[in-house]
Amino acid sequence: MKRLLLLLLLLVGVWSWHERQALADFPGILSAYSAKEYCSCRFVMEFDVPYCQAYVGQYLPLSRLEETTQNRQVTAVGFGIERRARWQGAHEGCGLLP
Amino acid sequence: MNKALLAVLLSLTLLSTWALSQETWPQPDWPQAAEINRLAWCQVQAYAFAPRDDRNREGVRTDALLVIKQGQVVYEHYAAPTSAQTSHLTWSISKSVLATLLGVARQEVRFALEDPVARFYPPMQAHPAVRLQDLLHWASGLDWQEAYEYAPLHSSVVAMLYTRGREDMAAYTAARPPAAEPGQRFLYSSGDSNVLAAALRTMVGPERYRQYPWDALFTPLGITSAVWERDASGTLVGSSYLYMSARDLARIGLLMLRDGRWQSQQLLAKDWVVFNRTLFTKAVAEPGEANPGGHWWLNQPLPGGERPWPDAPAGTFAALGHWGQALYVVPDEQLIVVRYADDRDGQFQHNELLKRVLAAQSGGRP
Repeated sequence: MKRLLLLLLLLVGVWSWHERQALADFPGILSAYSAKEYCSCRFVMEFDVPYCQAYVGQYLPLSRLEETTQNRQVTAVGFGIERRARWQGAHEGCGLLP
Repeated sequence: MNKALLAVLLSLTLLSTWALSQETWPQPDWPQAAEINRLAWCQVQAYAFAPRDDRNREGVRTDALLVIKQGQVVYEHYAAPTSAQTSHLTWSISKSVLATLLGVARQEVRFALEDPVARFYPPMQAHPAVRLQDLLHWASGLDWQEAYEYAPLHSSVVAMLYTRGREDMAAYTAARPPAAEPGQRFLYSSGDSNVLAAALRTMVGPERYRQYPWDALFTPLGITSAVWERDASGTLVGSSYLYMSARDLARIGLLMLRDGRWQSQQLLAKDWVVFNRTLFTKAVAEPGEANPGGHWWLNQPLPGGERPWPDAPAGTFAALGHWGQALYVVPDEQLIVVRYADDRDGQFQHNELLKRVLAAQSGGRP
């Protein structure tokens, strides 16, 4: 039994090493996706807040999604990672901030 | 003799002027057809705007449907909050509009299809054999995983748009390892489209690049609602982030329907639309999926295959995007269809919509 568990752990370890880059990137996807697409939903497509909240909603919930209407900036936090997007202009729409 | 020739020339000129004046153009806005058989459109309405399950985001969820026949609106309907004024996200329709924009640059003789991409985008020196036409066929041979929400861990497109690639999407793509010989294998890749968007900067010059989509294409067509987002390096997100109203997108459809001519001006190189509409025969048919042409999607069957959309003519071509976005052009019927949607599952079928639209526009005639 112990051996099986050890083998399983070893396999998970090998897989994690193999997938280290994808796994490291994964937690940032949710907040980046939400910040960017919510920003465009609000300030390019010009839909209302409840619609846009539902529009970007995923199975995994965000811990925070806020907009500053003044400078048209959106902050999203998920998995403890924060990403921001901002409206850049009438032709340029929204983009993620570095 | 000379007089006879002159007479022939004169009558030809008069005839073509007359023919041009018979065409309908959206100047300034799309004209409405005088008589619309509303009853005939019931089946279209029933399919596209079926009772909407927004709670579970299931089923066919059309936001906008616009049908143009011979330059006139024959059907138009929106589901709130989308309206005729909404600049709606087009997702991968952006790719085909980018190809149309490249057609203007081709008319300005800024590149040839056989040119190596590296000439216009130096990071592609890592892949010197990739030509512009390979990118346009989604056949760069660069390794790519195009999947969105179902495989986020390995999706190249998710990494490009939201994580490692988001600062410079073309550079992210150019750094991918090769997986096949360029031009030999169709592998749908948003990365290929963004390398094209980056190459356009060198083609037209960095000063013109910013305004180029508007100066070269949108303004001449009377498109006023377009928004085209960029990555942090300033490159157009040619793969995904073009927004415009349904009526404005139909203008792109009309330009394609009329072989790149807008009124009396040949905006796209004459052979460009032919290239867009020529099948990339190295692709492999997938049931129900349109076949790739030059950055547009075709209903022509691949050798040994069937028409992807059996109820639409083989000449039908389209620009297609994630979540059900579509711009269909049916030259046989002088028809343009724009559909915006928020389909989150696979229930919507292109063939079913086209079948019903084709039946309705003929007024019930078979």
